[in-house]
Amino acid sequence: MLEFRLAWRNVWRNPRRTSLTVAATVFAVVLVVMSVGMAAGVHEKMIEDAVRYGSGHLSVTGEGYLENRTLEQFVHFDDEIEQQLRDTDGVRGYAPRVQSFALLARGNSTSGVAVFGVDPSLENSVSRFSERVRTGSFITPGGRRQIVLGQRLAAKLSAEVGDSLLLYSVAYSLETAYELFDVAGVMRLPDPNLDANLAVISLADAQDFFVYGDRVSEIAILTDEADSAADVARTLKATLRMEGPFEINTWDQIMPELVQFILLDDAGMYITVFIVVVVVGFGILNTVLMAVLERRKEFGVVLALGLRPAAVFRTVYFESVMLAGVGLVIGLAVGLPMLLYFQAHPIELTGGMTEVMELFGSEPVMTFKLKPLNPIGSTITIFALAIVAAFYPAVKASRGRPVDVLRSL
Amino acid sequence: MTSLRIAWRNVWRNPRRSAVVVTAVAVGIAGALIAMSFNYGMVVQMIETAIGTELGHIQIHAAGYDANPELRVRMPDGGERPEEVLTRNEGVVAFARRVRGEGLVVSPDASVGVRVVGVEPKSEAAISIVADSMTSGHYLDGNRKRVIIGERLAKRLHVDVGDKIVLSVTDMRGDITGAGLRVGGIFHTPSAALDSGTLFLPLVESQHLLALDDAISEIVVVGSDRARVDDLEGSLASSLSGLEVKSWKQLQPVLDYMVTVFDQMGYIIYGAVFVAMLFGIANVLLMTIYERVREIGILMAIGMPRSRLAISIVLESLIVTLVGLAVGFAVTLAVLAALRDGIDLSSFAAGLESFGVGQRIKPVLRYSDFVVPTVVAFLTAAVASGWPAYRATRFRPAEAVRHV
Repeated sequence: MLEFRLAWRNVWRNPRRTSLTVAATVFAVVLVVMSVGMAAGVHEKMIEDAVRYGSGHLSVTGEGYLENRTLEQFVHFDDEIEQQLRDTDGVRGYAPRVQSFALLARGNSTSGVAVFGVDPSLENSVSRFSERVRTGSFITPGGRRQIVLGQRLAAKLSAEVGDSLLLYSVAYSLETAYELFDVAGVMRLPDPNLDANLAVISLADAQDFFVYGDRVSEIAILTDEADSAADVARTLKATLRMEGPFEINTWDQIMPELVQFILLDDAGMYITVFIVVVVVGFGILNTVLMAVLERRKEFGVVLALGLRPAAVFRTVYFESVMLAGVGLVIGLAVGLPMLLYFQAHPIELTGGMTEVMELFGSEPVMTFKLKPLNPIGSTITIFALAIVAAFYPAVKASRGRPVDVLRSL
Repeated sequence: MTSLRIAWRNVWRNPRRSAVVVTAVAVGIAGALIAMSFNYGMVVQMIETAIGTELGHIQIHAAGYDANPELRVRMPDGGERPEEVLTRNEGVVAFARRVRGEGLVVSPDASVGVRVVGVEPKSEAAISIVADSMTSGHYLDGNRKRVIIGERLAKRLHVDVGDKIVLSVTDMRGDITGAGLRVGGIFHTPSAALDSGTLFLPLVESQHLLALDDAISEIVVVGSDRARVDDLEGSLASSLSGLEVKSWKQLQPVLDYMVTVFDQMGYIIYGAVFVAMLFGIANVLLMTIYERVREIGILMAIGMPRSRLAISIVLESLIVTLVGLAVGFAVTLAVLAALRDGIDLSSFAAGLESFGVGQRIKPVLRYSDFVVPTVVAFLTAAVASGWPAYRATRFRPAEAVRHV
């Protein structure tokens, strides 16, 4: 333990140098913790938005629906299925939907739209569409021929609440389908693409319009936790009894491009952080190296007195590791509360940044998220780097031949 | 000059230490530059894809189209007047007339809402990459009933080249009409939006279908250089009064803003690298001062002015940093030359294409990209040596010479 005491004293023999090195480490740790935390927060928000305005954590669909997305792929939705879903552990909410495309016209303006037929009493348990209504109201249970539009779509058609719009499409029976709908509400959706293309009608209307009976395109399911989606999907696959073939996909299977985007974004972030950590690492390496070189005489003396090279190595090695350890502890002490603060107070973006975020389908908010694994992983990485970097000076210190060293000074 | 010589010798008195500093600076600068050149390459590709598929450099519409892109906001004479202006303007490389509408494509298996774009095959090919992006069948030819669609749309509709589809639209009069058409070709571009939701058909057929007579919706103009688009826009706008002349920046301000956001991100990265380098260099310099206490004391005792002393320390830091900067630049150029064909990210294709980026990302370095790191390096050198230089000048010669 002598080496430990020696190392600890050496850390403090030059407080100025030590504090500069510690400051560099603290900076690197805070940067890593905040960058990783921001990426985790932003990505979680993206997933949350995609899940809440898309197909939920998992969706039950007819076989081949993901590839084709036509009316030909369907599942039947009835009380019995509902009962089964209600009885499944981990299912927080479920929403049956009919999804297809149609033309929506008001006077001379026409727009191709994605039509969602939703059950207003079940939809809220999965999606956030109704919270997003800015004028008018969402589809009301039992209401007929109501339609709710995205804000950009409404603007494109110059449609306001109360206006009558003509919905035109091809039904499951392959007959032409058209029907007048009254605009019940206009909603502002975070994804500009969805905002410009989505029209929501009631499930009953959609099933009439598309001559679809009790069929639905998908049953979107929200699970208690995003991470448990795969487990719930497995359970449902095994237990769900349904007429006709069906498949169950989790959100990452439904939206592979989102998963890829997150991977790419993470890769970019890690590269940047890595560069900074390496630069800081070089700084620390240099400091320790210098600290060792200026003590060559001292090491020569203790080696000449019979201290084993291994002991010298340990002293110097412990010194560097302690230096990194102190920096890490302070860095975490500064970075984690900072991250927690921003997790509780997301940064609202303004100006042109808003549009860029929307381009990527996200709301203009920078969210942060502390995932326990992230700081642990970063800490281990930085510590591992320090442990590797500390090798060279320590070897350097223990290798000198006492005679030469003593003579050289 | 003496200060510079002293500084230079001091750099070499401990080559290993200097080498570590040079490496730290070089790694920081090269890493940031390389990362940024790929980031910027991605942004450029997003812009180029948008321009090459739909946007063009400049678009001309009837007044009010940008606010209200409806069929009735049109150029009734087929764009005769602007056409004349465009042929005479030397800045214009190519232009193409288009009709734009919305419709519903119906195949035996599915119906999908699409943007309907009527184009003249020859002139459209001169301004867009679609003609070069055909994966099966062929591009639009003289046949009025042959259309081309993107790969994603074809998959959605379950159709292949030669299959029949029905296109339903609301025409100028507000009537819903339709036409049976055949898929003549299928294209694949880096833009998922184009590939999944756009149908190109011959201009005459679209005018007929939408009851537009001779009218067109827009003229897309391509100039010689994306950077000079503002001048061209100005000159066209002044000679085409009464029409809406807008550059891609005005049509898609977000794309233009991406460049700004990208630059800001770059500043943040450099800021972090700067702070990281600062600690390292300051620490090393501080040490070199303290191991030279006696030497500095003697220099001062024999009459070296404090200012000269400070200058030589600042110069020492400057030399090391600038060598690091030069090495960093050299590494950057070497790495980018090796990677000039770009890196293949085809396993992320779906994620990239939803933002209009292809599978291969090529690094793009601008001359201006060298400015910020240079400034950062100078700043680092100056700031990092400031404190040590100040400390050195505060030594008291009498004590310093006795220091061991």
